Amino acid sequence: MGDLNQAMIEKYRTNFLKEVEANVEEGEWVKMCMQCGVCSGSCPLGKFWDHPPQELFMMIRAGKRDEVLSSDSMWMCTSCYNCVVRCPRELPITHIMHGLAHYAKRLGLVPESQPTAAFAQMFWDNLMQKGRVNELKLGLKLYFMNGFGDGIKVALKHQKIGMGMLKTGRMSPMEAFGGHAVKDLKGFQSMIKKAQELEDQRIAEHGA
Amino acid sequence: MAAEKKLAGYICTGCGIGERLNVEQMRTIATREGKLGACKTHPMLCGAEGVQMIRDDIAAGEATHVMIGACSRRSKMEAFSFPDAAMSRANLREGVLWLRPDTEEQKETTQEMADDYIRMACAEVRFMTVPSASGEQELNKTLLVVGGGVTGMTAALEAARAGYPVHLVAEENHLGGVWTDLYKRVPFRAAAADVVGSKDIDLPQPEDPGVDALAERIRANERITVHLNARITRTSGAPGRFSADISTESGGTVTENVGAIVQASDFKPYDASNLPEFAYGKSPDVVTNFELERLAKDANGGPIRRPSDGKEVTSVAFIQCAGQRSDKPGHLPYCSGFCCTESIKQAMYFREQNGADATVLFDDLRTPGAAGEDFYRSGQQAQVTFSKGKASEVVSENGTLKVHFKDLILNEDTAMDCDLVVLATGQVPNTGPDPYAQLAVEEAETEEEKDAARRKLENAPPSILNLDYRQGTDLPQLKHGFVDSHFICFPYETRRTGIYAAGPCRRPMDMKQAMEDAVGAALKAIQSAENAGRGAAVHPRVGDLSYPQFRKEGCTQCKRCTVECPFGAINEDEQRYPLFNESRCRRCGTCMGACPVRVISFENYSIDTVGQQIKNVDMPDEFSEKPRILALACENDAYPALDMAAQAAQMGDGIELTPFARVIPVRCLGSVSLSWITDALNTGYDGIVLMGCRRDDDYQCHFVRGSAMAAERLSKVGDTLQQMQLETERVAVYEVAITDIQRAPQLINDMAATIEKVGMNPFKM
Amino acid sequence: MTEVVATNETILVVGGGISGLTAAIEAAETGKQVVLVEKRPYLGGRVTQLYKYFPKLCFPTCGLEINQRRARQNPNITVLTLAEVTDISGDKGNYKATVRISPRYVNDNCTACGDCAKAVEAEFDDEYNYGLSRRKGAYLPYRMAQPSRYVLDPRIIGTPDADKAKAACKVDAIDLDMQPQDLSFPCGAVIWATGWQPYDAARIQPYGYDRFPNVITSVEFERMADPNGPYAGRIVRPSDGREAKKVAFIQCAGSRDRNHLLHCSRICCMASLKQATYVSDAYKDAADVTVYYIDLRAIDRFEDFYNKVRAIPQVKYVKSKPASIVADKDGNPVVHGVDTEGYNRYAERFDLVVLAIGMEPAVPKDGFPVPIVVNREGFIEAAPENGGIFAAGGASDALDVNRAVQHATGAALRAIQVVNSVRGMEV
Repeated sequence: MGDLNQAMIEKYRTNFLKEVEANVEEGEWVKMCMQCGVCSGSCPLGKFWDHPPQELFMMIRAGKRDEVLSSDSMWMCTSCYNCVVRCPRELPITHIMHGLAHYAKRLGLVPESQPTAAFAQMFWDNLMQKGRVNELKLGLKLYFMNGFGDGIKVALKHQKIGMGMLKTGRMSPMEAFGGHAVKDLKGFQSMIKKAQELEDQRIAEHGA
Repeated sequence: MAAEKKLAGYICTGCGIGERLNVEQMRTIATREGKLGACKTHPMLCGAEGVQMIRDDIAAGEATHVMIGACSRRSKMEAFSFPDAAMSRANLREGVLWLRPDTEEQKETTQEMADDYIRMACAEVRFMTVPSASGEQELNKTLLVVGGGVTGMTAALEAARAGYPVHLVAEENHLGGVWTDLYKRVPFRAAAADVVGSKDIDLPQPEDPGVDALAERIRANERITVHLNARITRTSGAPGRFSADISTESGGTVTENVGAIVQASDFKPYDASNLPEFAYGKSPDVVTNFELERLAKDANGGPIRRPSDGKEVTSVAFIQCAGQRSDKPGHLPYCSGFCCTESIKQAMYFREQNGADATVLFDDLRTPGAAGEDFYRSGQQAQVTFSKGKASEVVSENGTLKVHFKDLILNEDTAMDCDLVVLATGQVPNTGPDPYAQLAVEEAETEEEKDAARRKLENAPPSILNLDYRQGTDLPQLKHGFVDSHFICFPYETRRTGIYAAGPCRRPMDMKQAMEDAVGAALKAIQSAENAGRGAAVHPRVGDLSYPQFRKEGCTQCKRCTVECPFGAINEDEQRYPLFNESRCRRCGTCMGACPVRVISFENYSIDTVGQQIKNVDMPDEFSEKPRILALACENDAYPALDMAAQAAQMGDGIELTPFARVIPVRCLGSVSLSWITDALNTGYDGIVLMGCRRDDDYQCHFVRGSAMAAERLSKVGDTLQQMQLETERVAVYEVAITDIQRAPQLINDMAATIEKVGMNPFKM
Repeated sequence: MTEVVATNETILVVGGGISGLTAAIEAAETGKQVVLVEKRPYLGGRVTQLYKYFPKLCFPTCGLEINQRRARQNPNITVLTLAEVTDISGDKGNYKATVRISPRYVNDNCTACGDCAKAVEAEFDDEYNYGLSRRKGAYLPYRMAQPSRYVLDPRIIGTPDADKAKAACKVDAIDLDMQPQDLSFPCGAVIWATGWQPYDAARIQPYGYDRFPNVITSVEFERMADPNGPYAGRIVRPSDGREAKKVAFIQCAGSRDRNHLLHCSRICCMASLKQATYVSDAYKDAADVTVYYIDLRAIDRFEDFYNKVRAIPQVKYVKSKPASIVADKDGNPVVHGVDTEGYNRYAERFDLVVLAIGMEPAVPKDGFPVPIVVNREGFIEAAPENGGIFAAGGASDALDVNRAVQHATGAALRAIQVVNSVRGMEV
């Protein structure tokens, strides 16, 4: 993936805006920002962002490629759509945030220990195994993400909920041992594989 | 012609006049003291029957001069309109009844007030004449348009389309002026309506400038005569009879007679050599927005090449507000208003023709209106980069340019590299020298002041119109060299009647606005020529047929009138007597007010029409405890304010006016003669209140300088008072606005209080 | 019954605001016959509701006084108030216009003495003050209204109030049997000067105009600041009448916004700067004004005014489109957003928030009587397809008064070209 990043740098050199337009979902909207800042003020989690959306757009226009793509900010978006409904230029800001995050991921530029990114990877890996999400495994993995001791502590904290779920049959402990898969797991996996091929091909054509 | 003068009075008894006032007494006063031949009453004078009664008397020759005692002259104006008779109006309703409490103890003073207004109106009308045009004026439908740019061409074409012949004078050897090199223009229209689904489809694009097509239409128009390579070397006369010498470079001069003039001299591009910080002059790849059009035109749709080495431009930066919106010496303090959309358009050239990166560095992006904001979005769609940033320096190194700027959004000092820098420079008005700077030389009292005034003129640009006017060669300027009048409500009212400024010489503007402005100026020029043909005044006393009449034998050639006329209407003849130019006159009466020997007057407004009102009030003696306060109020602002105070009082707002006040409306405070003041004091008035309009930079005087002239004149009134051994507080001058509904009557009441303190005027007659 | 004498050399002006009034007067003073049709019971339109003009901070009634006099004295102008154009047919140089006149219930006899208003009891929201005050069912729309004749609100017709008004009138000016009247007359050219209306502020949901009494619009603030207005010129909070010293002005409220009006309304920046002076004039050093803006559009020589207001230390500028307004427990509006210059989040409490509301064209979107070119924003474009119909002022674009007057003067010439060609004077 590092190669792809290098290839993109080569290809777009000075114009990061163009790179975003070509490679980021809804990226062609970035140019339409009129710099009013309503998105940034509307974001309920805005104070946790290093760079609110409008600033990211300005940084894209200013060619701050590394700072944008390795930023933690777009990972903070919770898809509340406040910004989208208020944007006077009707930019799909939520989608652009996710698009940027995805692109950074593809280029391998996600900051280490970015929890949203880590969770997303966890979710994906979990999903890929059986074609469906194994909630028990995902939960456990999440609990033990920061080490064994921490995992036990979190697990104990949620003990009551877990017991309740067990009792009502909402969660089976058996799932911890393999777990059940979708009906046609092979079919699912080949479908994903094909999608990946198509995506790689697209990147090969556009990206390098 | 001079038919026998028949004075007739009409007193309305409606609206409470009959109930609260002794009408019979007023009738007697009108006929005995007021010397009216007859005085009738009517219960509703403004009704059809009452008006018909007056009309019948006028038609029967029973009334040539009509005194109406009813409501304010501002009320029932349409009903009391008798063009064939002289008319005065005693303001009994608003001026007396409504401003006075209806109580028994006030009855006497209220009646005295009404009686005096009847006396005053009778005196006024006795000294009035029905104005008739002098016959000096002519109808000349031909217009002169000075300036061969888009503004001038549009003015000429639109006037011609209405049927008026035009002489169009262009300084260059071709039409187009400052817009000649334009490659494309900012689109005139906003996005079209008929687009389904999206608001940002088919946004307007840069379009053909249309300059050549306009010039072609000018050439094809048989009503338009084009004079190329030509300048106006002399303009004389007045609306309806202007005479202009049009001199060509080859030395020939033709003289054309025209009815009115449009000055469309446009602008001069700002001299960017004042901007060394942006490497202008150091690097050929730093160009102005004006110069860029030439490069774009040369590229003819292909890639634009940079001047230094002909390389195709791959990245370009636009620096907005270059040398503008800045108080640095040599910079323009104003915004030129056209550069934001201009830069968007030019950036789009580079996107379209070069595929280059185009960045606009701006502080405030000013793209107002529908078309403006659409075009901004159009530029964004074309992937022009807009960065809020303030450029500080452009450095040229090894064939590239580095633009240093502060990114105002990201709040950091940064820099960008590019092949070409375009400076969005502004418009400098192409106007002549300021006539008041010229007049200042003459008016200077000491040699030092004279020298200083001369020095100011040294760097003045050449004259555009070369008017042979007493007050200088060109249109007066307001600020920054623009020949604007700063009237919000009346943008075309320049201070030289019959000469209208259009386009960027009036105010910075883009091409579309300049063309729209030209249409309005053409209308005003047509209107002025038509009115001059009728001998009638133009704005604001439209249709007034009176004009200044002057008793030459009394004139002392003091020049006050020729210097003070706000419209430069008065020249001087060989013997230095004033030479009035009727159709240049706006009938404000400033000349009349200025004249120390009272030789100037109008048929319907004169030293006597006001002076006799002042003299004809009944003056109680010094021990009566009934002072008299004269209030001279501008008819456009202070007088309506008093009327509206009366309205408010009538509806129970508790406003009152002292019964000792006698209010006389004046056309402008500038028309107030000092003789009225001294006469009033000599007659026994105890206090005088003068109410005119605001006179600073944001003046509100509709005769521009009238109020200021009055203030200057009246600043010396204190000396007169002292000579008479009277307290200076007895005369007060105020700036009063039309909204001063509480304050206007209060100022007069304050004077009554002052008189109580300082005592009565001992000069009671 | 009203009668109109007109020919196909007559110019019809639709709308008696500053643009229509100017166009009508300028054409009439050039010697043309004009019929001026105004929907309201008086001339002057929205400028009559302004306290001051920028940039001179002078009073609109001052110029209006002159324009009223020009119109009243000119025999070439026929004014129809309470009148609306219901149809136009025909072509350039030969139109037929149909106008519906609503009953005023007061005839020419009226002397504006005010006796009817004193007699009537019913009160209604005063539209002149945007509903900030009440007026009687018999009323003079405002002090300088021209024609200077009272109006009976149709809602009192048939009630005892109407009879009281009639009984109070000493000059027999009240005619309760007046009926709507339809008039048709020829004209050669039409000047469409219907102006604009304030955008509906309640539609800007995050700003809570419909929820918070201390969030008002710029047009309402103009009435508030007028000493002759509903608040006697006191800058106060509508919720409790307390002094409003800390005031926010929010630009682009409805303008430059694909959710609302696409266009920039041009006047709002300047109007807010002007209104900032109202606050600083009222409270001097105690005033605390913040202007929230995206781009401050003090175009051309207006820059001088911007500089003048910038010199007032009590007025601050924040480059930000506020995200939302909430009210705290005391009813204070709290403005939330991010200052884009440096990205500081703010949650600023104010006494009063003024929304610089956008100008929406008052042009019928559908069903304009004849085909006409209207742009995406709803303004009338100058186009040959429009024949002898010419927009003037606010119907053509978002314009300030000066530009509207300038534009209307030009429109007068366009109309004159048509009627002169009817006469055979065209090139």
